[in-house]
Parts: sequence; C-alpha cells; structure tokens
Amino acid sequence: MAVIETDGLTKLYGKARGIEDVTFSVEPGEVFGFLGPNGAGKTTAIRTLLDMLHPTRGSARIFGLDSHRDSVAIRARLGNLPGDFGYGKQTSGREALRLLARLRGIEGFGRAEALAGRFRADLDRPLGQLSRGNRQKVGLILATFHSPELLILDEPTSGLDPLMQEEFMELVAEERERGCTVVLSSHELDEVERVCDRVGIVRTGKLIAVERVAELLGKALRTVTLELADAGDLADLRALPNVTDLQMLDGQVNFKVSGDLDVAIKAIAHHHVVDMELTHPTLEEVFLTYYREEEGGG
Amino acid sequence: MTAQVGALVRAHLSDRRRSLLAWGLPLGLMSAFIVAIFPSVEDALSKAVADYPPALKEAFGIGGLTNVEQYLQAEMLSLIVPLALGYLAVRAVASGLSGAAETGRLDVLLSAPVSRRRLVVAGFIATAVELLVVLLITGLLTAAGSVLSGAGLAAGPAVAGFANVWPLALVFAGLGVVATGFSLRTSVVTGSVAGVLVAMYVVDLIGRLDPGLSGVRYVSVFKYYGNAIEDGIAPLAFCGVTLAAIALAALGAWLFDRRDLAA
Repeated sequence: MAVIETDGLTKLYGKARGIEDVTFSVEPGEVFGFLGPNGAGKTTAIRTLLDMLHPTRGSARIFGLDSHRDSVAIRARLGNLPGDFGYGKQTSGREALRLLARLRGIEGFGRAEALAGRFRADLDRPLGQLSRGNRQKVGLILATFHSPELLILDEPTSGLDPLMQEEFMELVAEERERGCTVVLSSHELDEVERVCDRVGIVRTGKLIAVERVAELLGKALRTVTLELADAGDLADLRALPNVTDLQMLDGQVNFKVSGDLDVAIKAIAHHHVVDMELTHPTLEEVFLTYYREEEGGG
Repeated sequence: MTAQVGALVRAHLSDRRRSLLAWGLPLGLMSAFIVAIFPSVEDALSKAVADYPPALKEAFGIGGLTNVEQYLQAEMLSLIVPLALGYLAVRAVASGLSGAAETGRLDVLLSAPVSRRRLVVAGFIATAVELLVVLLITGLLTAAGSVLSGAGLAAGPAVAGFANVWPLALVFAGLGVVATGFSLRTSVVTGSVAGVLVAMYVVDLIGRLDPGLSGVRYVSVFKYYGNAIEDGIAPLAFCGVTLAAIALAALGAWLFDRRDLAA
C-alpha cells in the first residue's frame, strides 16, 4: 500500500493559482521530492496533504487514511517541517519540544538531544535570538525527534550552511534505512539528486512529471567539455541525434548531450582525451526539457 | 484530550506570562491609587456629584460617591477595567490562533496529533485563566491600596465588582475566536473585535442616556454587566453572559475547523 496517494488533488484560491489535478503516489521507504521554482505550488501541495488547506476537489490518502477526515490519526505518525519554519520569538527550542512531546504523548524528548548535538543546535536560546539557519535546525529536530513513519519537509535545507546540509543528507539516508518515508520539497536540483529516489516536477501548480532521478537527469541536457590532444574529425559525434551545440576551439570541444551518454563517449573514444568535464544541468535546464516535452505534447 | 488541552493551556500561559504583569500591574496600581486617594477627596466628591445630572449618574453607574466602593465603580469598574479586559481578552485569544498562524507556530502545533478544535478550546481556556489572573493582580493591588491608605474598601463587594468583569471580557474572547474563523491576521481580529467592544459600550451608554433608545441596549453585552460592587453579582446575568461567551467560542471553533490555515 502506498504511504501517500493523491487523486486529482486541486486547491484553488479564487482566481489565484494553487495546485491543479495533482496525482501521484509515494511508496513505503521512498524518498520523494517535489521539485519546482518558488511559487510553483510545492508548499500548497504539502499543506493540502497535511489538511492545513482543504482541497477544492480531488482527494489524498496517507497511510490509507483520508487526509482530511483522519488528519489527527495521520499526524500521529508523521513529522513535518513547515516551509520558512517559525514558532515564536520568545520560546526556546526545548520549550517547543516539551509541548510537542506532550501533544504526542511521549515521555522525554526521544532522540532530540542526539539530533541537537549532531546539528549543533541550541535548544535553550529563544528562537527569536537564533539565525535563520539555527532556527531551521530546531525545526528539523521538532520534525524528527519522535522517529516518525513519514517525514514531510518543506525546503528543509533552507538557511543551512553546507556542512549542515551534508548532515541533513546523511540524516535523510539514515531515515530511509530505518524504513521512514520522506517527502521533501526543494528548488535545488543537487539536493534532490542526492537524496531522492523519485522526483515530481511542479510547474505553475501542475505536476508535469514524476520521474526517477536518474531518468530526470538523463533527459535533461548535460554540458560536456573535452580537451583533446589531437584536433581530429568529430563527424561521428556531430552525427549523433542527442548531441547539440558542438563547438571546437583550440583543442577544446564543447557540446550538449541528452539521454544516453554512452553513445557520445563511444563516438569520441578514438580521440586522445586529455581532460573531460561533465556539467549536470541546472534546475532551469531540467525544467526547460520538461517544458519543451509538455509543449510538444510529450 | 485533557492532557493535550492542559499542555496547550500551560504553554499559552507561559508564553503570555509577561502580559499578565503588563496588564495586571498598571490596572492594579491605577485602581490602588484611586482607592488610596478616596479619603482625601471624599468630601469634595460628594458635593460635586450631588450637582451631576441624574442621567449622567445613571449612564456611568454613579449612584453617589459617598463610599470608596462607589468611587472605585465610577472610576475603574464602569469603564476602564471592562474595556481594558475586553481588549486583553481578544488579544490573548488572537495570540494563540491568528498570532500563532502568523509566527508559524500553528503549522508546528498542527503537525502533532491535535485537532483544531482542541487548539481553540485550549486558547479560550487559557484566555479565561489569563483574565482571572489579571483581575486577581488588580484586585490584590487595589486591596493593598485600601489597607495602606485606610480607605476601608469592603472585601466582598470588591471581589464581586472585579469578578463581574470576567464574563464580560470573556464574551470578547469568544468574538475573537469567531473573528479568527474569518481572518488569521491578528490586526484584523483585534481591530474588528475592539471596534465591537467600543461600539457595544457606546450603544449601551446611548440607551442609558436616552430612555427612548433603551431598547438598543439589548444588542450590547454591557446591558448585562450591572454594578456588582454595589448590587452584588446577578447570577443569571453572570451565567448567561458566560454561556454566551462559550457559545461564541464554539461557533468560532466550528468556523476555524472549516477554514484554510493561510493568513
């Protein structure tokens, strides 16, 4: 049984855009990412799943339960980090933790202290005195301290420094090992690429594709830069249908490749390659690929 | 349920501990000052009040200023304390709902297995307790002022006078909950209910001043407020107003449950 299953989930705010006909499922133990630019509808999708927003039409089931009717039972089994986490300036992380533990009927703070040590989070200072990144750490601890079955994280690395982002990636990997299902939203392709099994691409409120991460990257254009010892003939490479924008300058060759990289590598195999650099697509380039597909009816 | 509501009430009161003193101390000190100066102004007041128009005395609940209880009623309990506590009530209840939505706290709390209705119930109970504590601080400081000045404020009537403010203020907490059913902006909630508070006071005042318009007083909760320091608490009005406040909170909880949680 899928942990999350939505069917035509739609949330409209008057004339403003929310989300429209969002249908997807997340399997147990999977790490699923919502990928999209700011304002695409990722947060609306998450808040509708969590029953903060009531759907205009469509439905969502979590753990097989109705996301609206059974929301209290669902929330007993999940942890949530809201986007742009806040709580109140005067309250410390420990006070917030104490309240959440009581609301969950938990004795003690679970693994909160261990997580605080790991993220170097200060649970005793009022949240209003913490930087955005340090508040975010407290938010992550509040979301995960009770070892939930499902973690829903809206822009989880927002404000975290690179070291803590690494720590977060490791935490997600460990949660997956534990059997936890994770749903996160991000506008960072690198982040999604590293932690997610599958990705849903959100554009203007619509889920335009759900792909495995490898497939997503494979479809998008990657930039290849080669330094060749010989200025030989590159006709084989140029002839490949998935190679575009081929340029040569002083022994340096640049081109873009989509889909299977192997054929491009084989086409240059008879050259003496001194150096090679493969640049993964940016989020915008990935989106362009899907936008083109969508506009082309693909 | 009880454990969750208890935890939420304690957290709410802990968050608002400064507010308890910020409201209780000024009101209490002001009230203590009023009581303390009574012995020195008593004679002059009696002469001045004798010349007041009867309608004015009726409007402001001034039966006469011949004792300290009447003076406390006229100076504090007929206007300042009810209006201040009514406004505090809506501020307190809004801080737990619309204020929590604005700070992001509501999203965190609703990540836990707690229903929206319990959040509302907890916010309303915490507000009721907060009002009691502020009234208690005000009453204690007033009593201290009386003892220090030898004004001779009678304990029973004074308790009745302050206690009678509680259900009145609670009505505005109930209206605050109803307002959060329509808006999660604290400024909108407090502004609109504060407007209703003042409007109700003015409507009641007009009804008192002009007997021909006395019917309009029925739309104002101030009609049922009375003068408990002199007449004692009217049990029917006290319980009726309290029940009205609870009914408003229940309506607000129903509205809050149905709305989207987006400011």
